[in-house]
Amino acid sequence: MADIKRDAAVGAATGSGSTRAEAVGSESLPAGAAAGETLSEERAVTAGAASGSGDAPADPAHAAWLADMERASRAKQVTFMDGIAARLRHARTTVKPEQPMRGAPDFWRAFDWTPEERIERFQANWRSVGGHTERVADLDAAGRFIAERAEELGARIIVRQDQPELATLGLEAAVPQAEVSVWNSDGDVYWKARAAEADIGVVLADGALAYTGTVVVRSAPGKGRSVSLLPTVLFILIPAERLGTRLGEALVPMDEAGREALPAGVHFISGPSRSSDIENDLTIGVHGPGVVYALIVG
Amino acid sequence: MKVSLFITCLGDAIYPRVGEAMVRVLARYGVSLEFPRVQTCCGQPAFNSGYWQEARASAKTILDAFEDSDFVISPSGSCTGMVHHYPKLFESDPVQLARAERLRDKSYEFTQFLVNVLGVTDVGARFPHKVTYHPSCHGTRLLGVKHEPMALMSHVRDLEFVPLPYAEDCCGFGGTFAVKMADISGAMVSEKVDHVKETEAEVLVGLDMACLMNIAGNLRYRGEQVRVMHLAEVLAEGAGLA
Amino acid sequence: MSAHKGRATVKERAELALNDEFLVKAVKFTTERLRNGKKNASAEHGNWEEWRERGRQIRLHTIAHLDYYLNLFVDNARANGVHVHFADKGEDAVAIAMDIAQRKAAKTVVKSKSMVSEELHLNHALEGIGVEAIETDLGEYIIQLAGEMPSHIVIPAIHKNRYQIADLLSEVAGERLEADTTILAGFVRKKLREKFLEADIGMTGCNFAIAETGSMVLFENEGNARMVTTVPKTQITLMGMERIIPSFEDLEVMATLLPRSATGQKLTMYMSAITGPKRTADADGPEEMHIIIVDNGRSLQLGDPEFQELLNCIRCGACLNACPVYRHIGGHAYGSTYSGPIGAVLTPALNKNIAEWDDIANASSLCGACYEACPVKIPLHDMLIYLRRRKVETGNGKAIETAGMKGFAALTGSSAAMKAALAIGKLGQRLVVRGGEIRTKLGPLKGWNSYRVTPSLPRRSFRDRWEKLEREVGGTRPQMAPDMQRRMEEIVKQREQGGGGHGGH
Repeated sequence: MADIKRDAAVGAATGSGSTRAEAVGSESLPAGAAAGETLSEERAVTAGAASGSGDAPADPAHAAWLADMERASRAKQVTFMDGIAARLRHARTTVKPEQPMRGAPDFWRAFDWTPEERIERFQANWRSVGGHTERVADLDAAGRFIAERAEELGARIIVRQDQPELATLGLEAAVPQAEVSVWNSDGDVYWKARAAEADIGVVLADGALAYTGTVVVRSAPGKGRSVSLLPTVLFILIPAERLGTRLGEALVPMDEAGREALPAGVHFISGPSRSSDIENDLTIGVHGPGVVYALIVG
Repeated sequence: MKVSLFITCLGDAIYPRVGEAMVRVLARYGVSLEFPRVQTCCGQPAFNSGYWQEARASAKTILDAFEDSDFVISPSGSCTGMVHHYPKLFESDPVQLARAERLRDKSYEFTQFLVNVLGVTDVGARFPHKVTYHPSCHGTRLLGVKHEPMALMSHVRDLEFVPLPYAEDCCGFGGTFAVKMADISGAMVSEKVDHVKETEAEVLVGLDMACLMNIAGNLRYRGEQVRVMHLAEVLAEGAGLA
Repeated sequence: MSAHKGRATVKERAELALNDEFLVKAVKFTTERLRNGKKNASAEHGNWEEWRERGRQIRLHTIAHLDYYLNLFVDNARANGVHVHFADKGEDAVAIAMDIAQRKAAKTVVKSKSMVSEELHLNHALEGIGVEAIETDLGEYIIQLAGEMPSHIVIPAIHKNRYQIADLLSEVAGERLEADTTILAGFVRKKLREKFLEADIGMTGCNFAIAETGSMVLFENEGNARMVTTVPKTQITLMGMERIIPSFEDLEVMATLLPRSATGQKLTMYMSAITGPKRTADADGPEEMHIIIVDNGRSLQLGDPEFQELLNCIRCGACLNACPVYRHIGGHAYGSTYSGPIGAVLTPALNKNIAEWDDIANASSLCGACYEACPVKIPLHDMLIYLRRRKVETGNGKAIETAGMKGFAALTGSSAAMKAALAIGKLGQRLVVRGGEIRTKLGPLKGWNSYRVTPSLPRRSFRDRWEKLEREVGGTRPQMAPDMQRRMEEIVKQREQGGGGHGGH
């Protein structure tokens, strides 16, 4: 309970509305039966968007300056790498060298937990760092859970990612007192500020790993990095079938898919924002969300 | 089979009783130690201070002293550890390098030899005292001497073992460090002695007289009566060999 | 800058630190907690030695082919839309960062923790051109307000107590803040929220850079590094040239080693892999992203067999927490950006001014706790000796020590000389021995005897006693048991067949 009180105090100190975190987390929903709904795979959003697609600077002088920098940098790259090779006393290595040990040891790759174990361990890890976690039967139950918490908190602004699964939560109807925004659904809104003033963010996990108690979220046009970062309270929905065991299960596919398939941000979240920088005293919610719910769906 | 005693400077000049205890314990198992008189110092003070040319002069006396030994036994993990550095000292001298590697391979710290070579863990000693143990850094970290002293102590009858809090922390000796950085070293040894006192042990046991001299020095300075002994002394005394 | 600035030597700075009761307590408490956390986390994970070796091999391999992997990273980062820059020296990196800030007409830069940035003293340079640089890591923010250097890689404000912190933050707040962690952290959250939203540039360090995808990876607990890479329109990342690993597959090993070694966590609360600026249709993330690759003395270690492994360092701080010297004197006594065992080696190695910094290399008892704690097995205790040797070999040894060591060699080079010296010692000590002990604080024993009593030399040394002893035990010595005899013969035989050594490294 000490943690939760702390969450509340931080929430209050940030002045983010009528957040009352101490009311949260005292109840639990019974773990549900098998999922009634299938969670569809996330839409492919990365193709074509990946390479060299930082927004083109509007200012032509700036663009020219960047181009100059680029030319100088490419020239410098050659001397820089030549210098390294010379120090290492070999010719420039241009062919991929044989890597004697790559990645985790073999015994680790063979390590796995059963689905039930994964859920159990994930929840234990999540709780051990001050996070909250529940199992819910399906998306409807998840929606009800979030709505109840939102009501308790007196949440006024909720931001959620733009994903069909999250649309089915029906938060707009279930939390009438709050304004529910869908990330990046309107070109006129300054979305970062919207997320910053939000009491609650709602995201769907792209993956989760039980061994470290970690959730993986990938950025996309409809999936803001801010949504899992700026609101005071965060709800992460984890479809049970996306819960793996080891970190490598999320990392190795990133290599396999290759550079062009990567979004701008892949974030691995393992609990609430925290710091021990003041006299080793643990503080929750120092920059990111202090109250983080991991809801395992199904 | 030639088994030689590498007495070390401190063992020779200040703590001859430790060497005596070693000789008596090993004699019990029929080990006839030989003592080459030409040996001096392993050269560690010079080596650690960066004076490798000077360290080589010392090292050569040790290489000469134990040229034809089959086993070289010392009462100090640190000095035996120094012998492990010899190949580095003679990297560019193939003749000395070969000798250095040979010496490294046949050098043993006392408990390593007793436990791992002779296979002895019970010397039949009885030592009815409360004992704590300081594992010296070089012995444990450089040579990997960890289980050997524990095995020996666990077989000493009536010895009440109390673990030393933060046992693996350096006592602050570090050779010339204790002189060059006297205040830091002083703070470290004071902390070590605080931990020794916490155990309420009657006897502090170790495997390296340099560290033990440092800790004992601070204990005496503070008027503490804790007895400080090398494990060889405990075994010899406990087995009625002293 | 530092509270200890102006003190010339480690010894002087250490003396100050040793007399600062809060500092000593705070540093001990924190390092204690962190090293126990590390021990538990590595034990709980299991097979720690195998993971360590794995980490070491990955780092060794990458550094041995750094020209290939760094080049690959640069090409991929460019393909991701990143503007990559190279800086041979610290000043070059500062100039590039300032150039970008000026081009962007930046008023404020929000920064997440970066040891490279500390190394370059970048904040000072930015302030010089009227750009406000704000550290956003809670600990870094505190020491920035205090105008100090970090005293620990992972816990920068380890040396400050909550009352001092409350004073600093109250000044910013313009009102009295209670010295309560939650209130203080809450104030910083609110204050820095404003800064994140209004900042023109976000600046970060880089824990790892993935060569095969051109991604950069950040580990953190607070979320400020995510803020810095999500909210401002421009991101600048400062990256030491050695931060590379080949793949995300290799990141699993680093992610296993780094948080456990640093804070005893299974994973930090956030690990972020950032691959280029925001995609066109994204509504957050930087529009423009720069990575400045910094050499600043790092390449001097390449090809140097004694120091190349220094580049394997993953900046976890485990060696600081394990080091008994660091625990007693804290980070500022080291007098540079990097403190503790890694700092004692890295600072002179990066600056190649061994003569000036050897002082730091002397502040170690060579106990090897740093090596034991290091998740990538860097032999820091050996490197400290190499530094000392290089100082001597370049003729920068202290005259008195050099003379002393020459004397040492003369003595230990011959047993007769040593015996003679011992005889003189026995004669000389008569002046100072009382009850078998020496307590004088005069002359060479001053430092030692300020904390200890020195034992006197016994009347007869071991070599004086040997003959009698040998006669005594020789008479009763039994025959060696046949199994022992056999074992010894077997060991000698194996050795001759090239079986090599036993134990040790």
